[in-house]
Amino acid sequence: MTLLNAFTVNATVQSMSPILLAALAGSLCGRVGIFNIALEGQILVGAFASIAGSFYTGSALLGVLSGILVTALFSLILALGTTRFRGDSIVISVGMNLLASGLTAYLLRVLFDTAGTFSSPEIAEVKRIVIRAINTTPWIGWIFSRQTPITWAAWILTILVTLVMFRMPLGLRMRGVGQNPEAARTLGVNVERLQLWTVVAAGALTGLAGAQLSLGTVGIFAEDMSAGRGWIAVVAVMLARNHPAWAAFVCLVFAMADTASVQLQAQGLPNQLTDAVPYVITLAALVMGSLRNRKRRQAALA
Amino acid sequence: MQWELETTGLTKRYGRLVANDAVDLRVAAGEVHAVMGENGAGKSTLMSMLYGLTRPDEGAILLRGQQVRLASSLDAIARGLGMVHQAFKLFEDLTVWENVVYGAEPRRFGFLDRRSACTRVQELAQRHHLAVDVRARVRDLSVGIRQRVEILKALYRDARILILDEPTAVLTPQERDGLFAIIRALRADGRTILFVTHKLHEVMELTDSVTVLRQGRVSARMRTAETDADAIIRAMTGRSVNLSVARSPATPGAEILRVEALRVPAPVRGAKPLVDDISLSLRAGEIVGIAGVAGNGQSELIEAITGLRAAEGRIHLNGQEISGRSVAARRAAGMAYVPEDRALTGTAAGARATEALLMGRQHDPAFARHGVQDGAAIAAHARDLIQAHDIRITSERTRVGTLSGGNLQKVVLARELDFDAPLLIAEQPTRGVDVGAIEAIHARLVAERDRGHGVLLVSAELSEILGLSDRILVIYEGRLIAELPGAEATEQHLGLLMAGRTQEVAR
Amino acid sequence: MHRLALLRPHPVLMAILTGLVFGALLLLLSGQNPLRAYAEMVRGALAPRNWNNTLVWAVPMIGMTLVAALPLRGGMVNLGGDGQLVIGGFVAAMAAIYLPLPGPLLAAVAILSAMLAAGLYAALAALGQTVLGIPMLISSLLLSYPAIGLTSWAAGFPLRDTATGLAQTLPVPEAARLPMLFGPVSTGVVLMALVAAVVVWADRRSVPGYELRMRGLNARFARYGGVPTARQTVTVMFLSGALAGLTGAIIVLGTHYRFINGALVSPGYTWSGLMAALLAGGEPLMAIAAGFFFAALQTGGFAMQREIQVPRVLSMVLQAIIILFVSLRNGRGAARKEDRS
Repeated sequence: MTLLNAFTVNATVQSMSPILLAALAGSLCGRVGIFNIALEGQILVGAFASIAGSFYTGSALLGVLSGILVTALFSLILALGTTRFRGDSIVISVGMNLLASGLTAYLLRVLFDTAGTFSSPEIAEVKRIVIRAINTTPWIGWIFSRQTPITWAAWILTILVTLVMFRMPLGLRMRGVGQNPEAARTLGVNVERLQLWTVVAAGALTGLAGAQLSLGTVGIFAEDMSAGRGWIAVVAVMLARNHPAWAAFVCLVFAMADTASVQLQAQGLPNQLTDAVPYVITLAALVMGSLRNRKRRQAALA
Repeated sequence: MQWELETTGLTKRYGRLVANDAVDLRVAAGEVHAVMGENGAGKSTLMSMLYGLTRPDEGAILLRGQQVRLASSLDAIARGLGMVHQAFKLFEDLTVWENVVYGAEPRRFGFLDRRSACTRVQELAQRHHLAVDVRARVRDLSVGIRQRVEILKALYRDARILILDEPTAVLTPQERDGLFAIIRALRADGRTILFVTHKLHEVMELTDSVTVLRQGRVSARMRTAETDADAIIRAMTGRSVNLSVARSPATPGAEILRVEALRVPAPVRGAKPLVDDISLSLRAGEIVGIAGVAGNGQSELIEAITGLRAAEGRIHLNGQEISGRSVAARRAAGMAYVPEDRALTGTAAGARATEALLMGRQHDPAFARHGVQDGAAIAAHARDLIQAHDIRITSERTRVGTLSGGNLQKVVLARELDFDAPLLIAEQPTRGVDVGAIEAIHARLVAERDRGHGVLLVSAELSEILGLSDRILVIYEGRLIAELPGAEATEQHLGLLMAGRTQEVAR
Repeated sequence: MHRLALLRPHPVLMAILTGLVFGALLLLLSGQNPLRAYAEMVRGALAPRNWNNTLVWAVPMIGMTLVAALPLRGGMVNLGGDGQLVIGGFVAAMAAIYLPLPGPLLAAVAILSAMLAAGLYAALAALGQTVLGIPMLISSLLLSYPAIGLTSWAAGFPLRDTATGLAQTLPVPEAARLPMLFGPVSTGVVLMALVAAVVVWADRRSVPGYELRMRGLNARFARYGGVPTARQTVTVMFLSGALAGLTGAIIVLGTHYRFINGALVSPGYTWSGLMAALLAGGEPLMAIAAGFFFAALQTGGFAMQREIQVPRVLSMVLQAIIILFVSLRNGRGAARKEDRS
């Protein structure tokens, strides 16, 4: 049994795209100075709205769009809450996570008359793009073929968000707003408006993340199916210090750790232990990072 | 004559306080115009109105004869006004050029045109002799260079009138000379400079004309060349010089506090230490004043002595070595401390008077036994202090966040004096307190001295230092650069020392 | 003036009302009669014959509310309640099953070791902040997952009760079980009431309580007054974790009689408790009241589902809406104060 084969590589790329999209959203929010720990709930709302949209319209595209739209609307709670009402982003985020969990479970019962998991033949899944020419080519084919358009979008968006953030005037303004809103204000930037739209745009990204999770893999919705992915994205954002490209790298490491843990399961290691692997790696990374910072600080003092 | 910038009857009130009272300012084109005044004279309010940050209650602002309404700083920028705030408004993690073009970025196909931005900022810097590396990150820059970035920001937006708010408060002498050269070059370039300061010699050295503010009003308006330092001081201080307290000569006793080679390293790489090798000694029965312009390390020095900040060096209090000990241990060794910021450090807005007045003595057997508080004793103690110090408060259970500045300061003072500690550290004890309360506070400090306690006074108010201190230490850039007996010091003399100009004093 | 203040609606009451209105809209949209649903909820939670159920739910709920409230009182956040809860439950089960001790002593030792273990685990997150500078918000949350994973593995493999076919440990011996008071209510309720009373009392009357409150109001002020904040962080997190351990032990020794995989985490006590504590701004008595209120919402939700088939997760939605409105109202108040200065 090899660690790297067509299936595992393909699955790694696929399973990391929701986390990647959420991490992009988190870095955007972090850049404008809003600490978003509602990613978990936002993904869940996106997953549910996508399934519902797909179920009612019979179209995968409309399903994904409804996931994006509904999650963007849901994000208005954080957007308005932190700007207009100047609430605490942590309290609001915790409330949103609970609301997402409760509301999706409630609607699952009310709309689809089911608990736990919802699947139906009427749900149109997002089709994967098979590139025949490279389908079986090692690596290239494993990575690029048989992925959903959302996975493609996630990588393109990573590049786009990085470009916007570091190469466009909008990104410069966003970075400034997060660092010193007062300075940005004196230079004529409408700080609250920029924060509000950034959080909403980030909400759209998490909606896409949810769509990939539900429509892009198995075409079902399960209660609390975000299963910690949003928290992993939060940690990726923290480790990457709101840098989208670094966040993508961290997500890749997480995804590989995750795949490795699946492999370890196949080797007989129980999943209860392997599930914790990404978190343990994160903790180790945080500890190492802070030790390095401390050494650097001491060097500066000397 | 048409003025470049003029205000007529500009008035701003905050509640009952009139911060600016019918201020008429007249600034000619192409001059360096000083706006002088003591702290609280209304300089900041005037500048805020000129830059569109505050709306005046009455009066008008005229630019080149045209009345303008400035609803925001954007309006001011659009009309050719630029401002360098005393506390810089920069993005630390961004580069110099990013800071400069922020909000008015050159674009190419919708993208940020980095090359053209860099060249434009670079050219601008060269033209005005503002040596600065445009690609450097602001966090790596010294204070003097940061100030240049602020000036560049204004020039990039084509400011014709540049307001500099206390620009030398944070500069070294060399940086200050550099700034003056830049200002002269800007004047030669036809720009108008409004120079806000309370330093006399800078006005004499640099400016063309002066407007002096006192208690919100214009008290004098003159050509610099036609006036002298005495006239300006009179206009600034009026009769307020006799704030000095009647007191007998000091009778110093045993040493209370000894600080040896205290050093607080800088938070960023390569920068100068915040407190640089300071040694000092304080005896029982004397008041030692630490004079200095804000930001020269006095806050850090006090934080290091009180244990709120880590430092190298040795501190002895009352014969015990307290360096490296906790705040609680230092307090127990005999230290009371009236901090600079009563709202951020000295109290908590949400605390009741009983709670705020207890802080520091929560373990005192008079108020707690075996970790259990004695509510009755705490309340009685609070009532006593409220009465003894005439704190205007509804009841001892009222939250102190509702109190005025002066009353809040009384809460802090009441608590700290009640420690009856041999060492009292008083940091800016009368900042933002009204005149009546100032006298009372000064009397308390002298009484503390006369009871045989040592008082370490930190103040940016020259009159306060001169009126109270038996000995004066001058702090400049984290070092003590002079010591002089309180009786011999004069305002001018001290002013020069505070500006780091020891040679001129020697002469 | 005082009369006016009384007439003004209390923000928390307003938030609860708003939550109920939103819930009613949700019910209407799903074709239910909101009045009937709420009536069932109230009956389900408060009718005398349902008191026992509410109490059984309220004990862990209040436990986890205090877990969140204690750090919150000092301006800190403990997001790792789930991990601390399972460690407590697991250690209690282990001690009760494997320690050769007689009757009541066994229960006491099981509870104390659960508190110790969970407390130490929580203190780890505090040390992460004070020593390494890792935000406690993140370290406490991350530490949860390995704890859940390890205990779940242990219950699923080496310590599994092979007789039942489920991922759970052996039952704890009769002697270690908490005696029953009435119906399904164990002496755990007495234990929790005692602990809650101690917390409320300590918050108001003890010196450490004073120091923690002052830190919550203004951490710099506390430091200035000689409060050792770093040591306090570790102590408070230890106590918070110990409360989670106690909660886990009470559930294991008083209700489940064994450690069942997932049974401590899935009811969501931790997050509901955090909500309740946030609702009260960390003030223990208010937090306990809020915890009770949420517990009543939960048991009422069960009844509502049983009687008229309205999904009980509605009570979770209500909790979330209430906390969101409270946070918005608090935020707006702060904004007004800022404008004034």
